[in-house]
Amino acid sequence: MGIFDAFGTALQALWHDSGFYSLTMGNVIMMLVGCILMYMAFAKEFEPLLLGPISFGCVIANFPVTHMLDEPGAMQLISYGIKYEVFPPLIFMGVGAMTDFGPLLANPNTILLGAAAQFGVFIALFGAMALGFTPHQASAIGIIGGADGPTAIYMSAKMAPELLGAIAVAAYSYMSLVPLIQPPIMMAFTTQKERSIRMGQLRQVTKFEKIVFPVVCTIVISLLLPPVAALIAMLMLGNLLRESGVTDRLSDTAQNALCNIVTIFLGTGTGMTMNADDFLKIQTIEIICLGLVAFAGGTWAGLMFAKLMNIVMGGTINPLIGSAGVSAVPMAARVSQVVGQKSCPGNFLLMQAMGPNVAGVIGTAVAAGAMLAILGAPTK
Amino acid sequence: MGNIQLGVTIMLINMTIVFCVLFGLCIMIRVIHAVDPTNKKKEVAPAKAAAPAPAPVAAAPAAAPKADNSAVIAVIAAAVAAYEGDDVKIVAVRPVESTTWKNAGRAVGIANKV
Repeated sequence: MGIFDAFGTALQALWHDSGFYSLTMGNVIMMLVGCILMYMAFAKEFEPLLLGPISFGCVIANFPVTHMLDEPGAMQLISYGIKYEVFPPLIFMGVGAMTDFGPLLANPNTILLGAAAQFGVFIALFGAMALGFTPHQASAIGIIGGADGPTAIYMSAKMAPELLGAIAVAAYSYMSLVPLIQPPIMMAFTTQKERSIRMGQLRQVTKFEKIVFPVVCTIVISLLLPPVAALIAMLMLGNLLRESGVTDRLSDTAQNALCNIVTIFLGTGTGMTMNADDFLKIQTIEIICLGLVAFAGGTWAGLMFAKLMNIVMGGTINPLIGSAGVSAVPMAARVSQVVGQKSCPGNFLLMQAMGPNVAGVIGTAVAAGAMLAILGAPTK
Repeated sequence: MGNIQLGVTIMLINMTIVFCVLFGLCIMIRVIHAVDPTNKKKEVAPAKAAAPAPAPVAAAPAAAPKADNSAVIAVIAAAVAAYEGDDVKIVAVRPVESTTWKNAGRAVGIANKV
């Protein structure tokens, strides 16, 4: 009889220690959310490289009583990479190593389109404040409009860590939906005549320009906006490795091996912030709605500014390139190209749209830096 | 109400900062282009090469027509005609110097295949 009692007690203890015993309805819902995101990532191929690890991290985050984030180990290390803003600058190095600033340097006026498209950031910021979010939370939510995942994570880790999961999911979801969100807005706010404007060939950019630009850009922006020095410096370091022509191995590592490794950790770490307690709130739905407003607002503002530039510059600017100012490299530029080509089959806007597209990356980082400088990180 | 007013203020200040910084970068890019010593060399080099040109001027045009590019031109003409329709007339064919347009063409080609 004693053996049976001991066996029963052991089984009971095992059951009480198991995750099933402590599983809440919130955990179950979030695991289902994780599975839906996995379906979108792997079956529907919506940003699978990032949404894949994020969705799996979401499932992991909702295992009860694992204490993964409280005890030293791989999972805690990964979560520290998010908490202490380690991964976004490393991702930016890879982005820099993959980015060709040539189209921007060839037509520097397009940098202003990258600035105009940041209007979406501020529309979302305003909307968030109107909904009752604090200024710090609102600034982190606004960055979704920049269509720049690493900057959104960097900003929310600094300004509103409690909203990081929702902001990251909104940012990456909308980035993957750029080909669906942007074209209707582009068609609604431009005329057939404007969409058919053919832009001239870009001038050739010298190696000198391509090497000097990242160095000078780092110095100027880092001195002006110290809070985003890490992001800009790593972006430009990656680009310098690419353009120097003598560091091919480092450039290759930055844009492939390192970027892939950090992407896995960044995605998983972001997903692990999506626990039921933080995610299952009405705020999450508000953030996702504000993200859509931010994307649409940024696209609209880019188009309008491009239309203005077209008038000022004598009809030489196709307004469709304005929508590419919302970062999302190179997806937004490809959307400009596709919509432009639908209107006029022989029209090639890809390279012209890459100018505002890469300017949007810098613009989003500058917008983040400006908000960090003005508001400062919240006191914890 | 106070929150909305603060939101508008933050929005306007930040938008101004973003525009100013990126406008500054725009000027900086132009300055880099202006002071680019390699660019000046490139501009000077063809000028120097053009200076002693009068003597061999007859030889140069003679060499050009010798290359038989008719097959390439025919292929390009057929491709353009297929793409643009019948109401297009090709008046000149010249090699593209910039790699950006070459890359754009390749990207579109790949996208169409995929």
